[in-house]
Amino acid sequence: MDITLSIGGRQATASPPIYRWMRHDHVRIAWSAGSTCFEPGNGPILRARKRLGDSPVEAGRDYVELQAPLGMTERKKVSDDAGLYQLSGWAVVLLLIAIYGGSFLMSTLIGRKKENADGYMTAGNKIGFGISAASMTATWIWASSMYASATAGYTYGISGPIHYGLWGALMILFIYPFGKRIRAVAPKAHTLAEVMHARHGRSSQLMLAGSNIVGSVISLTSNFIAGGALVSLLSPYSFTQGVIVVAAGVLLYTLWSGFRASVLTDFAQVVAMLGAVVVIIPVVFFFAGGPAMFSDGASNLTPEQSNFFSSDAFLNQGAPYIAAVLAYAIGNQTIAQRLFAVREDLIKKTFVTATIGYGATVIGIGMLGVMALYLGMEPVGGNVNNLIPQMASTFLGPVLLCLFFVMILGALSSTADSDLAALSSIMMADIYGKNLAKKASPKTMLMVGRITMVLATAAALVFASGHMDILDLLVFVGALWGALVFPVIASFYWEKVTNKAFTTSVIVALAVFIPVRFSWFPMTGATGIIFDIISVVGIGVVLGLMSFGFFGLKPAKIIGAIAALASAPFVIGFLHDYTVLTGSLVAYAVSTVVCYAMSVRSGQTFDFALIKQRVGDYDPQDEDAQSPDDLDSSAVTAGK
Amino acid sequence: METFFLTLYVLVWPVIVAGVLWTLCKGFMKDWWQSRKEGRSII
Repeated sequence: MDITLSIGGRQATASPPIYRWMRHDHVRIAWSAGSTCFEPGNGPILRARKRLGDSPVEAGRDYVELQAPLGMTERKKVSDDAGLYQLSGWAVVLLLIAIYGGSFLMSTLIGRKKENADGYMTAGNKIGFGISAASMTATWIWASSMYASATAGYTYGISGPIHYGLWGALMILFIYPFGKRIRAVAPKAHTLAEVMHARHGRSSQLMLAGSNIVGSVISLTSNFIAGGALVSLLSPYSFTQGVIVVAAGVLLYTLWSGFRASVLTDFAQVVAMLGAVVVIIPVVFFFAGGPAMFSDGASNLTPEQSNFFSSDAFLNQGAPYIAAVLAYAIGNQTIAQRLFAVREDLIKKTFVTATIGYGATVIGIGMLGVMALYLGMEPVGGNVNNLIPQMASTFLGPVLLCLFFVMILGALSSTADSDLAALSSIMMADIYGKNLAKKASPKTMLMVGRITMVLATAAALVFASGHMDILDLLVFVGALWGALVFPVIASFYWEKVTNKAFTTSVIVALAVFIPVRFSWFPMTGATGIIFDIISVVGIGVVLGLMSFGFFGLKPAKIIGAIAALASAPFVIGFLHDYTVLTGSLVAYAVSTVVCYAMSVRSGQTFDFALIKQRVGDYDPQDEDAQSPDDLDSSAVTAGK
Repeated sequence: METFFLTLYVLVWPVIVAGVLWTLCKGFMKDWWQSRKEGRSII
């Protein structure tokens, strides 16, 4: 079958020809643009799609005939080559230099010859709205969230991106009322675990710090893997080369100034990311056929995928995320770090803006997956993670493809630098400051922070080269964090919670969670019913805690009880088949019940004012007023 | 009608993102001017 393409209005020469291969409606189309590089997705491709209709085109047999405006024609055999259009090596090198070189230059603008330990961890607790909101947004959006949202759209249809992005966004929103309380009792803290040390003691602190470290290393590895995959898909360079360049680039601009560099560069990265989203989604939409794609491609969707209120999407995608909403926010030090860094009166504004920014960006990117579904596209190599690069490669020209490259690299770099800053602050404050040093020296703390960054980068490089299934691991850790949520939150409000109750409840919850999550025993008969009942309690706990942050204790108890009772008829006898969700809910329920039971009869009446006294700055003065030379001789005992 | 709403559903997100981007840039500029006025680093 021959197809004639009109390259209207463009000047083109036939020699030397440049062929670009496009995947469109199951047909790979090539056209010659002479020495001019045509933007894909423009007129000729749209017309080609319409002319093709449903006609089958066979790779290796059929030809595509290309007609240039000057009358030149080319015939090319339809290819079955599944490779995506790639940027040239030089273009990628220049982009990487621009991104990481630019970030490094930005970091030098705020760099000091002698950095300050508190500044390195939380930038002195007084960041303004613009930078903090940008940083929160940039940190929470990572490459994996973009890929996962598009995958949700492709798998579950039109409601898929909502069930990914909305709940992810609410993770930020639901933590802010707790954040206000945490800042009120510990205004000068650097990590949540540090506050747990002041509230309970070492075992609770190390438990939280340990889970934070595991989460951050996994997240860092995941971002490096995403960087390597992006480079290998869209450039001539390999996965390993991509991973190494991304890791080195992120370390380069974060190492010296730590968290301060991370938040400043986050602003540039979020501008690039959000700017790209504003342009790329409409461009892909119109070049993929515009509104007509919804009528032409409706048959590609199952009834469940076409349903905005799909129960399949809710149970498989949305519900596990609702359960994880609080767990991720509590377990993720990058959020806590920004909570302690922003000016106290700007917490609400910052968190609300980041919620909207994250939600709209990630759901918007998820629409690429929905469009791919309507277009009937098959992911290259059967890997759904290739969907976004595939859509970009198919419908974007070289310039916009560069913008796409910057968008993904910005997303993964902003999260990776936050992970490095989070890991360094945990090692500085929780391991060195609270457990190793008799008198914490700010100079030594800085050294610990920088060594941590280098070691964490090296460790993530090793894990990344092992091609581990990082997302599965992250989902596991997210559910595991569910065991910490009630004990941590209750510790900020309830004076009766003891160290023993905290640690015991977490350990018991984990001991129940792990066998459930990995199906170590059959969930049949009475066992399944028992775990369904525990899950019902977990549902009550999750919704009760969410409500508690906004409305207080009494409404929270009522909402939690109603949620548990209302869900019981639908959950009992049914939910145990969904092990991820059941495991997560069981972790919430068991830790809450054990922590409550052990605390309610305790005679402890903790004075929350003590936390403020026990957690403070490590540097002796305000960073702006301080002479850097003073740091060497100062050894303070804040929080000891 | 369904096509119209699906189109709206896809295109509303970049519009919201543009609004957030504007808010963030405005906030950043305010932080920057404030820090310059006070003679300190923005971070």
